Amino acid sequence: MIPSSCSHAPIGAGIGLRLPHLAEIVATPSVVFSTKSSKRSWLEIHPENFLANPHATELLLEARRDFPVSVHTVGVSIGSAGGIDRGHLRRLRSLIDRVDPFLVSGHLAWSTHESEFLNDLLPLPFDEEALHLVAAHIDEVQDALGRPYLIENPSSYVGFAGSTMTEVEFLGELVTRTGCRLLCDVSNIYLSAHNMGYDARQYLDQLPAGAIGEFHLGGFTPEEDEAQEIVLVDTHAAAIAQPAWDLYAYAVERIGLRPTLIEWDNDIPELATLVAQAARADEIVSNVFAQRHQLLEVGLAAVG
Amino acid sequence: MPQLAETQREFRRAIVEHDTAAIVSELVGGRDPKTRLAIHQRNYEKSLVNALLTKFPATHWLVGSACLTEAARRFIKIRPPRAPCIAEYGEDFPAFLATTPVAQRVPYMNWLAELEWHVGKVAISIAFPALTLGDLTALDPSKLSQAMLTFQPGVHYLKTPWPVDQLLELYVTEAAPEQFQLAPADICLQIRGARGEYQFRHMTPVEFEFRKSLQRGRTVGDAAEMALDIDAVFDPGQAFTCLMTEGLVTAIA
Repeated sequence: MIPSSCSHAPIGAGIGLRLPHLAEIVATPSVVFSTKSSKRSWLEIHPENFLANPHATELLLEARRDFPVSVHTVGVSIGSAGGIDRGHLRRLRSLIDRVDPFLVSGHLAWSTHESEFLNDLLPLPFDEEALHLVAAHIDEVQDALGRPYLIENPSSYVGFAGSTMTEVEFLGELVTRTGCRLLCDVSNIYLSAHNMGYDARQYLDQLPAGAIGEFHLGGFTPEEDEAQEIVLVDTHAAAIAQPAWDLYAYAVERIGLRPTLIEWDNDIPELATLVAQAARADEIVSNVFAQRHQLLEVGLAAVG
Repeated sequence: MPQLAETQREFRRAIVEHDTAAIVSELVGGRDPKTRLAIHQRNYEKSLVNALLTKFPATHWLVGSACLTEAARRFIKIRPPRAPCIAEYGEDFPAFLATTPVAQRVPYMNWLAELEWHVGKVAISIAFPALTLGDLTALDPSKLSQAMLTFQPGVHYLKTPWPVDQLLELYVTEAAPEQFQLAPADICLQIRGARGEYQFRHMTPVEFEFRKSLQRGRTVGDAAEMALDIDAVFDPGQAFTCLMTEGLVTAIA
């Protein structure tokens, strides 16, 4: 039986823990505690970075004593028509049982074809066949991991002409059919809306707010493609852009407080830079709730 | 065949083989979906080429970026990863390098790559508490010859026809001698590491074969006989004692 909710989830912003920062965080956890967001700090890992690295796993378990940890898979390939790699799920389960994360998540994407792993998050058509397959795979993954598995909205550059529903409709239907929860990557929404030509706020409005268990924020890189169009590429190699911060504020206002992760996977900066980005996310949350409180006071005063 | 499976087959062909003919008509996005597809092609290539260059830094240093990048590009086309853990990708890359034209000019390149693959593996292992000679007092001496040993996980035995450990040493120490001569010579290396550290130990061929066969699960008696066939004056008792005192053995059964 998979528990339907996650206990002990931290409420502040966390950072993606990548191997170059691991030893530093273990040696001086206060580096991450140094902002006003201190007691709410947490870390997220990609388990695939640890499965074949016993030394890193040993350090991770040390870090786990100081921080709540969530696990964000990048290799499950939940949309593969050829099925899920059960050997990989067994390895994940073994690590997850040791780390005891407060959340486990992955992507609405596919990466494996037959026995090849293509090391990218590839797009799915949004139709009944894919919906049926992904829903079955979510059940399989949740059973294999013994935990709820949150599904993250993708970053999109292409779609499929044969799709019969929008991405947000597809995610909503997944929630209805499986009871799964969602990881709302705010930067992905901004990026995909730009690349695919839809309205990011409207997308957020359509997401089932109660199903969202986590926010992600990552940096993207604008590039001019061969057709002379500016495409936003989900590089996770830069600071969060202002439009993504603005959309995050809107998401918090609309959906509420959720654990929020700062992702930075390439050209990884000093830990202090990540901590500063996390502090900014916390500040935005504070501002949203301060405004809400102010409005409430004004409203109460008017009634009084 | 279900439509999704066929779509993914064609998508994979576009990503790995750059054959976009069948998939591109199914796609939408921007003025030209083919240019958008190029982002996924690039993600695949760049991430895996970078993974290989990062995993073989000394080989990169030896033959240069252009050469190793080209080899990595060809490698990922014919041998995409077989598992989602990219840290495990690249074990076959040294053997692939041996088949490239550069190997004609730099015949020790693939051996250096082989060495650094194993260095990378042992350095991320963790050492377990080792058995001591004192722990063996409980063992019936007459049964020792039937015993099998479990070695520390961070130990590998490598025989190479070039002393490539010297090259690795140059790379690690950033030494740049005006001249460096590398002559072919069979070497037997024990590569041992844990928690970010590693060391090499040169071994005699007989000691190397004794340890390697024990690590691969042969009994102490079988390994000793095999070693004595190589060298009649080999002292198995002494060699066994050395194994124990070096802390290489974690279990005996």
